[in-house]
Amino acid sequence: MKLLAKYNRVNVVATIIVLLLSAVIYYFFIEKTLVYQLDKNLVVEEKEIKDYIIENNALPEPSYSKDEQEVYTSVTDKNVKRSFSSVELYNKDHDENIDYRQLEFPVTVNGKFYKADVRKSQEETEDVVQLILKITLTIVLLLLAILFIINRFVLSKLWKPFNSTLEQIKQFNVSGKDNIHFEPSNINEFTELNAAVNVMTKKAIGDYNEIKSFTENASHEIQTPLAIIRSKLELLSQSENLKEEQMNAIQSISETTSRLSKLNQSLILLTKIDNRQFKETEDVNLSVLLHRHLNNYEELLNAKGIVTTKNIAEPVFVTMNETLAETLIVNLLTNAIKHNVEKGSITITLNEHALSISNTGKALNENPAIYFERFKKESASNDSMGLGLSIVKKICDTYHFTISYTHQNMMHTVTVNF
Amino acid sequence: MKILIIEDEKELSESIAAYLKGQNYICEIAADFNKAIEKTELYDYDCILLDITLPGGSGLEILKELKANNKLDGVLIISAKNSLDDKVTGLTLGADDYLAKPFHLSELSARVAAIIRRKNFDGSDILNFQNISIDTRAKTVLVNDKPLELTKKEYELLLYFISNKKKVISKNAIAEHLWGDDMQGNNDFIYTHIKNLRKKLMEAGDADYIKSVYGMGYKFSV
Repeated sequence: MKLLAKYNRVNVVATIIVLLLSAVIYYFFIEKTLVYQLDKNLVVEEKEIKDYIIENNALPEPSYSKDEQEVYTSVTDKNVKRSFSSVELYNKDHDENIDYRQLEFPVTVNGKFYKADVRKSQEETEDVVQLILKITLTIVLLLLAILFIINRFVLSKLWKPFNSTLEQIKQFNVSGKDNIHFEPSNINEFTELNAAVNVMTKKAIGDYNEIKSFTENASHEIQTPLAIIRSKLELLSQSENLKEEQMNAIQSISETTSRLSKLNQSLILLTKIDNRQFKETEDVNLSVLLHRHLNNYEELLNAKGIVTTKNIAEPVFVTMNETLAETLIVNLLTNAIKHNVEKGSITITLNEHALSISNTGKALNENPAIYFERFKKESASNDSMGLGLSIVKKICDTYHFTISYTHQNMMHTVTVNF
Repeated sequence: MKILIIEDEKELSESIAAYLKGQNYICEIAADFNKAIEKTELYDYDCILLDITLPGGSGLEILKELKANNKLDGVLIISAKNSLDDKVTGLTLGADDYLAKPFHLSELSARVAAIIRRKNFDGSDILNFQNISIDTRAKTVLVNDKPLELTKKEYELLLYFISNKKKVISKNAIAEHLWGDDMQGNNDFIYTHIKNLRKKLMEAGDADYIKSVYGMGYKFSV
């Protein structure tokens, strides 16, 4: 729910409650005042009637109008109590029930007892109540209309700097070259927000650059000693008269160095992808890339007696970074070759929606999902770092491709959906 | 053939020099930016091995300087910064090749040989070893003056061996050279190729030059 909508809802509900409450209070006070006024009038009528009786020694003419009535009833009981009351009486002329305020009091004419009823219509009170209701309703409608107009024209303009800032934050790329530019606003909250976002993004960019250079430096610092170790080993292996165990040791150190170097490169690659350092994208022709790399492995596949089936549509263009596209394809292909069996097969299918690479291979012992995590590998028997599929997964995540693994009829299939 | 090694890591530059001297190159070493600039201004080299991160300045500046002075020296960038930017910048500035650390000395030697061949300093595209003759431009091989049919990988393998003759080359280095570093660790893959190459050379009437060195790899020698 939008802040504005929520705020308006609360506002409208509260206003309506207050208005209704005030209408009720009005009603009671006004009614009370009007009744008090009526009662005063009734007392005046009473006095007039009494005066008339004293003067004329007879009852005045009873009247029976809609607004005012004077009725005399002869009674035997002289103990008629003087009292005010509200009554509802049927009016023949108007064919309706009308509320009256009535004063009942005893009068005596020539020793005879009468009960006098003086009534005045309360219709005016009802009119007032109706008026109050109408005014209240009008105010409520007016309020809703004003709120609508404010929302529509004033508030959206008021919130414009906020929305612009929000849009900028959404577009913000920590590796992007351009800084965030905020729309100036004279509203304190927004200026403060912009200032805070500014500080935050500057810090993010700073941290990012630091990590970036750290990654580069770490690579440099580790690769150089590795280069020295490797070169010394290769020089050492040129020596004549090496004993068998020395040669074994050299070979073993050399392979470990290669693993360490590959591991380091893979980790740096993962970090770089994480840091979105491969941000240049282009339309990469995957068909061409696939053919090129398959070509590179062709003799190897022949030598191992692996049959390849290619269902490669062309051209298939995917918008991504070219280096990452190449890494993706090389990783998937080398996986399919390395984990294959003698005289096995590889099936490669590429179309606009998906790339799928299947290969024969030994059944896996574990849940396939873990191969997409870092440092998981099937067996200790091979030297693969177990990072290949994590890199593939990371690349897929970067471009919102989905990757899935299935195992059926001794075929391992990895599918990437673009 | 004169080679200048611009590299601040003394241990590494000495290893490179020791290996390349065995391939009959004359090697000089420059360990920092100023020394490198001085040497490149004074002398001509067939190939310069150029590290990018140097004390006193960037290797890329040296490259710019070389190009500005119309120097014809071949340049092979050897950098630990396996970052795309450096590679692209380096090649755009006119470097001949790029090799990321850590590299195999055999790979380095093959790349240096390729650059020198391409630059054609000795006026020949023909590489000879005993009675094997390789035309590197046409990519054809003659053994005892008769053409030898080789597959693409077998040709690359032979060229790699001849660029590193009399040296022990590790299986890892060969695998990396043939298929890139993603095929590392599966050294049995190279065995078939070596077997086929050896068979073809021997059928063509040559001696068996490919010697298996126990535990470590192979050596191409008489």
